[in-house]
Amino acid sequence: MTMVEIFSFLPYGKYAFYVWLAYGVSALTIIALFVSAMRNHANTLLALTNKFSRSK
Amino acid sequence: MWKWIQRQASPKVFYQTCNRLIPWFFWPFISLLILGLYWSLVVSPADYQQGDGYRIIFIHVPSAILSMMVYAVMAIAGGIGLIWQIKMAEIVAKVSAPIGAGFTIIALASGAIWGKPMWGAWWVWDARLTSELVLLFLYLAYMSLNSAFDNPRTAAKSSSILAIVGLINLPIIHYSVKWWNTLHQGYSVGTGGIKDPDMQIALALMFVASILLYALLVAIKARTEVLIREQNSRWVQEEVRSLMS
Repeated sequence: MTMVEIFSFLPYGKYAFYVWLAYGVSALTIIALFVSAMRNHANTLLALTNKFSRSK
Repeated sequence: MWKWIQRQASPKVFYQTCNRLIPWFFWPFISLLILGLYWSLVVSPADYQQGDGYRIIFIHVPSAILSMMVYAVMAIAGGIGLIWQIKMAEIVAKVSAPIGAGFTIIALASGAIWGKPMWGAWWVWDARLTSELVLLFLYLAYMSLNSAFDNPRTAAKSSSILAIVGLINLPIIHYSVKWWNTLHQGYSVGTGGIKDPDMQIALALMFVASILLYALLVAIKARTEVLIREQNSRWVQEEVRSLMS
């Protein structure tokens, strides 16, 4: 069975695999952008806190 | 308005503006995204040629437009940084690069996934696809050049020049479907584009949501970048202390 057949039970039938794969990949990319931005912010705040407490 | 823009050149003011704008970008983005997805996946009818497979257009076209718009913003902000020595413009240029690369990856991936059922191939070395791939490489080159210097000012200078030279690729991408014989279909927006009003509404909603997503990510990332660059100033110490306590 091909991937197209396996996912054909979803909405959009024979195109379901392609449509949901495209939306899924896009969602993952956007989530990755958000996660890396948030992580970067949290790490920066931590690093700066450490630096400022050392210099005191 | 002009006064307001000029004041943004101050790191502290720009930082506060980013903080204040984040919810103003976030909530409209989420609402338009939900509405846009509903319009794309439920309201819009199936296409007479491509059936339901065409629905990839609602992420493919906005992300492809954004991949080029973000590049233009990045090069212009880099140019402003070069000419007027405005550090905040350098920051906008720098944080735009990974976001633009993200949009380019979405455009390329959704295009490949769309190409398979419609053309029978994930990838062809066609003018539109190749020039968009070059755009991704330009973003990656910008990011690696920018991170290759210890001094952020030097990094901004050299990478901005790269970004400005790379601008030449944008008209090539845009006109590639006209200039060369290509497998890629013609323009989706404007004359000869999609005509169904529901499809147009869905595309417009997703497009505005994408712009808000870009603005939101810039605000989030620029905030971090300002803190790093201005870490020796008093207000950053106070800000970090109040955030971490």
